[in-house]
Amino acid sequence: MRDALDLRYLLTAAFAGLLFGAGLYVSQMVDPLKVLHFLDFSAIPSGGWDPSLAFVMGGGLLVMFVAVRIGKGRTAPLFDSRFHEPEFNRIDTPLVAGAAIFGIGWGMSGICPGPAISLIGFWPDNLAIYLVALFVGSYAGAFIIPSGRDKRLAVAR
Amino acid sequence: MENFTPVSALAGGLLIGLGSAILWLGNGRIAGISGIFGQLLPPARTVVWRLVFLAALVFGAWGSAQLLPGIGVGGNAPAHLVEAPTSWGISTPVWLAIAGLLTGFGTKIGNGCTSGHGICGLARLSKRSFVAVAVFFVVAIATVTITGIV
Repeated sequence: MRDALDLRYLLTAAFAGLLFGAGLYVSQMVDPLKVLHFLDFSAIPSGGWDPSLAFVMGGGLLVMFVAVRIGKGRTAPLFDSRFHEPEFNRIDTPLVAGAAIFGIGWGMSGICPGPAISLIGFWPDNLAIYLVALFVGSYAGAFIIPSGRDKRLAVAR
Repeated sequence: MENFTPVSALAGGLLIGLGSAILWLGNGRIAGISGIFGQLLPPARTVVWRLVFLAALVFGAWGSAQLLPGIGVGGNAPAHLVEAPTSWGISTPVWLAIAGLLTGFGTKIGNGCTSGHGICGLARLSKRSFVAVAVFFVVAIATVTITGIV
């Protein structure tokens, strides 16, 4: 990063966050029941399944796919010296185990980190408990799996 | 199909994609919420933009609810999280604490959640993200069925 307090850099982060948050609300990803009705495949035979969230993912992927292709033609983003693309490519146990553990948490609650944080403005009961647990879980994970590109590559070797 | 809302879902998805695209092409950063949230503590230079992004995320969701009341958080009813299935004999706060712990821990060691792997990773055609997305969707679907939460 050139300068952590570059105003254009921070305004870009703010604008991106604003659109992302609006998208989470408009798509109803912030509604745990909406998400659970998508994940409830057992309701497909009875016609109670809600496939809406496939459209959220489709819309998001469509735009981001184009953005990644645009980025490939550039050496750097507008306000930083490089694209911070993960360079670790191996499919390892922490990836699969982590995704599975996250899947349990998501299925139990109907919220994932983005919607959970977006719900702060609505402050439903028990959100604080969930967010503290999210934070604690995340830092517990950091102790087990060292983060950072160099450390991960070192672990991979 | 009850409550099928393809138009607002697609519109929301496009907004999420646009936010991710701007963060990528502007700052070269992946809009992965678990990653942005999970790296707040260490006194790193990146903490400032992470906090700005998350504050804007909260404001974006809240602000669009003011502009477009009635969609989003369960219609006009106040926002609420799930309640623990009674058959499991676990109180709702404990249930949600377990869900939060698992989500925080899993996304940290798996390096991403629905946004980082699901939107950005798949768009980058990352092999790791394809595996992660397949695994967390299958496990989440199984969890909903097993717990009987809906």
